[in-house]
Amino acid sequence: MIGTVPILKIGRTLLVSIQIELSDAVAEGMQNDVLAALERTNAKGIVVDISGFDTVDTYVARILAETAKMAKLMGARSVLVGMRPEVAATLVRMGYTMDDVQFALNLDEGLALLGHVIPR
Amino acid sequence: MHARYLRTLKFDELELASRRTFFRVTDEDLARLASLRSFAEKHTEAIVEAFYELLLGHPETAKFFSDELAVKHVKKLQRDYFLQLFDGRCDLAYVENRLRVGAAHERIGLAPKWYLGAYRRYLEVVREQLFKTFPSDEARASMESITRIVFFDMSIAIDTYIAANLETIGRHQLAIRELSTPVIRVHERILLMPLIGTIDSLRANQIMDALLLRVVEEQARFVIVDIAGVPVVDTKVADSLLKTTAAVRMLGAQVILTGISAPIARTLVQLGVDVSSMHTCARLQEGIELALQLAGKVIVDREKGGAP
Repeated sequence: MIGTVPILKIGRTLLVSIQIELSDAVAEGMQNDVLAALERTNAKGIVVDISGFDTVDTYVARILAETAKMAKLMGARSVLVGMRPEVAATLVRMGYTMDDVQFALNLDEGLALLGHVIPR
Repeated sequence: MHARYLRTLKFDELELASRRTFFRVTDEDLARLASLRSFAEKHTEAIVEAFYELLLGHPETAKFFSDELAVKHVKKLQRDYFLQLFDGRCDLAYVENRLRVGAAHERIGLAPKWYLGAYRRYLEVVREQLFKTFPSDEARASMESITRIVFFDMSIAIDTYIAANLETIGRHQLAIRELSTPVIRVHERILLMPLIGTIDSLRANQIMDALLLRVVEEQARFVIVDIAGVPVVDTKVADSLLKTTAAVRMLGAQVILTGISAPIARTLVQLGVDVSSMHTCARLQEGIELALQLAGKVIVDREKGGAP
């Protein structure tokens, strides 16, 4: 399928790696898929990798933030990882700081934040 | 160098034509100048001597000519310069040649006032010789043509001074921009950005962009922003610090704000700025210790035998 976001399960964590520019429709689809996967797997954490984003608009940012809140209601913590500097700068300048979302520098740290210990 | 100035000044055929019109440098003038060539050649020596007598006789200009050899060299250049006035040409090649003169003066630090003052002497001597040599009608017409090309020359020389200064200012601005956003790695994955001087909105943006870039490059977990050197923290500065903190957080790192003096603390509270989103410390030292502590490390005093 074109324009969907793969959702992988590692232990009790869902890994959502977004490597395409999110259109509004794809973002909404992703939200549905993540929540459905959460229901199905009873995962306790979600790591969303957004390092593929060059730009992001407030609508997509809001969907990401809302997905995190919805997941929390279902008992799962979410971490956004790998945001690029220019994306962070743009969001902040638009006054959107995503205060209720957790962030990490990269996938390793995101997983560590959720209590996953990656053996080295 | 002069070719670059030609571009900086946007000096093209159009500009040349416009300037020639304004300075009234007509083809007739150029023809008259060419016809004065033999007169010029005859009096070059005397004119150049009078010119340097003035320059070497004044203490502030004399210091530009260190020794006999240097004087001999510039006199030769001056003779060429003078004779080129009587080439009967006023095209882009001529302009480029004149630009070189201004550039050379700028390089040795000879201010425009000396250049203009010395040129006045030039004209004085030329006028004397013209009226001695030709009937007054002819001398007057010749003097007019020479004045036109000389003023044209001066406009170019002044432009060169300005272009050279603009270049210098541009270089300084670049240096200031780089100096104004230093990011230092103090420890593994801990960065320090010491801010010194006034922060305006342009600089606030540069600070944020530079910091975010380095956080990702270094995969830093903690960023210590020291504002001890910032003289005034107003709502705008506070707001930019808050924005930077929020952006750094979205990358997955944390900001520790240090160097908060009593007046700054007072201002922040009185302005109603909520800085609870960042860690704050009075001193840089405490900020570094806090960053290490949050990273799970401690600084141990060996004298006191190990554990903190």
